[in-house]
Amino acid sequence: MVPVQWYLLLGTAVFCIGLFGILTRKNALLFLMSVELMLNAANINLVAFSAYWGNVTGQTFSLFTMALAAAEVAVGIGIILVLYRNFDDVDVTLATGMRW
Amino acid sequence: MVGAFDYAPAIVLLPFLSFLVALAGGKYLPKGGAFGGIAATAGSLVLSAWVFLTVSAGNAYNETLYTWVAGAGEETTRLTFGLLLDPLAAMMLLIVSLVALLVHVFSLGYMNDEGETGLPRYYAGLGLFTASMLGFVVADNLLMAFMFFELVGLCSYLLIGFWFRDSGPPSAAKKAFLVTRFGDYFFLVGVVAVFATFGTAKFAGEGAFPVIAEEALNGAAEVTTFGFAPETWFTILGLLILGGVIGKSAQFPLHTWLPDAMEGPTPVSALIHAATMVAAGVYLVARMYGFYALSPTALGIIALVGGFTALFAATMGVVKREIKQVLAYSTISQYGYMMLGLGAGGYVAATFHLLTHAFFKALLFLGAGAVIIAMHHDEDMWNMGGLKERMPVTYYTFLSGSLALAGIVPFAGFWSKDEVLYEALVHGLGGSPLLLAGYAMGLVAVFFTGFYTFRMVFLTFHGEPRTDIARDPHGVRWNVKGPLVVLGILAATVGFVNMVPVQDLTGIHLEFLHDWLAHGELSALTAEHYGELLHDYAHYTSAEVASYVAGAVSLALALAGAGLAHVLYNVPEPTEHTAKLGAVKDLWYNNYYQDEYQVWIATSVVLPLSRLADKFDQGVVDGVVNGVSSVSLFAGSRIRRIQTGVVSNYAALLTLGLTALLVVFGVLGGWFV
Repeated sequence: MVPVQWYLLLGTAVFCIGLFGILTRKNALLFLMSVELMLNAANINLVAFSAYWGNVTGQTFSLFTMALAAAEVAVGIGIILVLYRNFDDVDVTLATGMRW
Repeated sequence: MVGAFDYAPAIVLLPFLSFLVALAGGKYLPKGGAFGGIAATAGSLVLSAWVFLTVSAGNAYNETLYTWVAGAGEETTRLTFGLLLDPLAAMMLLIVSLVALLVHVFSLGYMNDEGETGLPRYYAGLGLFTASMLGFVVADNLLMAFMFFELVGLCSYLLIGFWFRDSGPPSAAKKAFLVTRFGDYFFLVGVVAVFATFGTAKFAGEGAFPVIAEEALNGAAEVTTFGFAPETWFTILGLLILGGVIGKSAQFPLHTWLPDAMEGPTPVSALIHAATMVAAGVYLVARMYGFYALSPTALGIIALVGGFTALFAATMGVVKREIKQVLAYSTISQYGYMMLGLGAGGYVAATFHLLTHAFFKALLFLGAGAVIIAMHHDEDMWNMGGLKERMPVTYYTFLSGSLALAGIVPFAGFWSKDEVLYEALVHGLGGSPLLLAGYAMGLVAVFFTGFYTFRMVFLTFHGEPRTDIARDPHGVRWNVKGPLVVLGILAATVGFVNMVPVQDLTGIHLEFLHDWLAHGELSALTAEHYGELLHDYAHYTSAEVASYVAGAVSLALALAGAGLAHVLYNVPEPTEHTAKLGAVKDLWYNNYYQDEYQVWIATSVVLPLSRLADKFDQGVVDGVVNGVSSVSLFAGSRIRRIQTGVVSNYAALLTLGLTALLVVFGVLGGWFV
């Protein structure tokens, strides 16, 4: 059996990739994808610990997270559509109206 | 059984109702709501008479009707409204409602027949004025008295400034309000101090504050005196409340508002001077006389202020040209006598003078009002003359009031003023020499009173008419003559209720007012009890002086004053003799420069002081506040720059924040060890 540390390392790596995407990209669609990556990093942790302790609660939770992620994507796509309609682009740095 | 006392609240509420009616519907009522006011005050008069009869049967009423603030627990301070109906209050109720009724009737002639506008406002003011004064009279505790005291002040402001389109009345109204307010400020502090000391402000009954004060002085009770000896502290309390009295009763040095208040309509002047506003101050001292009787210092100050004011105001009345000005100074002077009487231990004498003065001063003002109607609102006596033949009813009633004011036997003022002076004399000789100073000033003032009163009568009614208007004066109707006749008869006869000198001479029992005030169900409020207090605590003892001797002296002085006026002014073509007084005339004509020095105090002392306070406020207090706010403003203007609107920056900040938190937790939690 693969030791749990490897899973944690994988989760951390995926999370950091997602975070990196959010911090560096300008495209809103890439934002969504990066958020998905971060959520799935959390899922990996949940499943890994669930397997480690022999308790299925964590796996159930990861199912919920996926449902939540689907809902979040629906909302996110909606926002991106509105963004596109207003700015003719999906570049997040264009929408800067809510500033001081 | 339903008795007079159950209807007593209606005495106050009826005029209040007329106020509401006149205010809301006066425009649609005939005579601008006058009949509502007349009906209401007549109702009050009838109920007052009923209460008077019930009280004279030996009953009294002292009940709390409504508690509007009560603290938690059993032994707590309560703020209440209640009624206190004892002989003094019953007498005062009669005076106030009768004078108010006559003033309402007179107003029909003075205001309606003269075609004034704004009558609903006028009658609303009169109604509220009457209601406030009646409420003040029946108040059973000091706080309620204070509230109605203030309402009376407000109404006087509204009515003095009735002709608000002219320049004079509004400023006179403001002056009356501010000057009395200055005194009331001390009164308010006094009320709070009474609550802090005794935990109650009730005038009578179980645990009333004069009773507690008496017990505290003989050691039977403990009160908070804030580090003073009880005697000293009670004197301070008495003097604080006296501040309000001096303002309202126009005593020196807060008398300056009253002559200016002549700017108001004449019936209002009659109401203010005779029964309501000015009487309120003296009535307050009489109401809580059981408290003042404990403090010889406070009594001495009351007597001296009263005596001084009596003389001081009388001298100023000597040189005035306007009929109402003379009457204004006579009012100040007469209230000075009442204060002298109260301070000299003459509770009954002062109350008696309050009673007689109410009638003869209302009469004189209404008489002056009739003259002013006749003269087409010219008040200068030098434009009058010879009105005697042309308005006989006014003349003879006015003469009755003048004889009473001057103190000529057997008119009302003689008996009461004489008794005030007598009390000052006997207690002064009996070991309180301070009162003799008050007596001396009061006695000299008698001469001046006689002089200015008859100077006024002779200039107005005698001699040859000096102007065309005086040759053909405007007639007056029943609504002017009726009140004059009623008051004229009262001014001549009301003194008979208390003829002490005649009693001493003939042995016939004639001191009914003494009997009326001496006994009662509420024994702590009787003249008998006050006499004991005065003897035990103020150490007043009476010397043996025959009352008719003292009476003869003051009568002789009054006659001398009247005689001098007769010689100087009762000639067909009188001329001004005031110039012979030289510099004194200027001094008197300018009211001893009282207004000037008060204005000087305001502009040269108070104004720089308040400028200084303003600088402190603007510089130091506001400076600190502004400094704090400018720091946050500056900080805000910098920090707001992180709100860039770019979502990536927010994400970066979130990440940085999370990392920072993790580092902090890590360091504090020892994860890296």
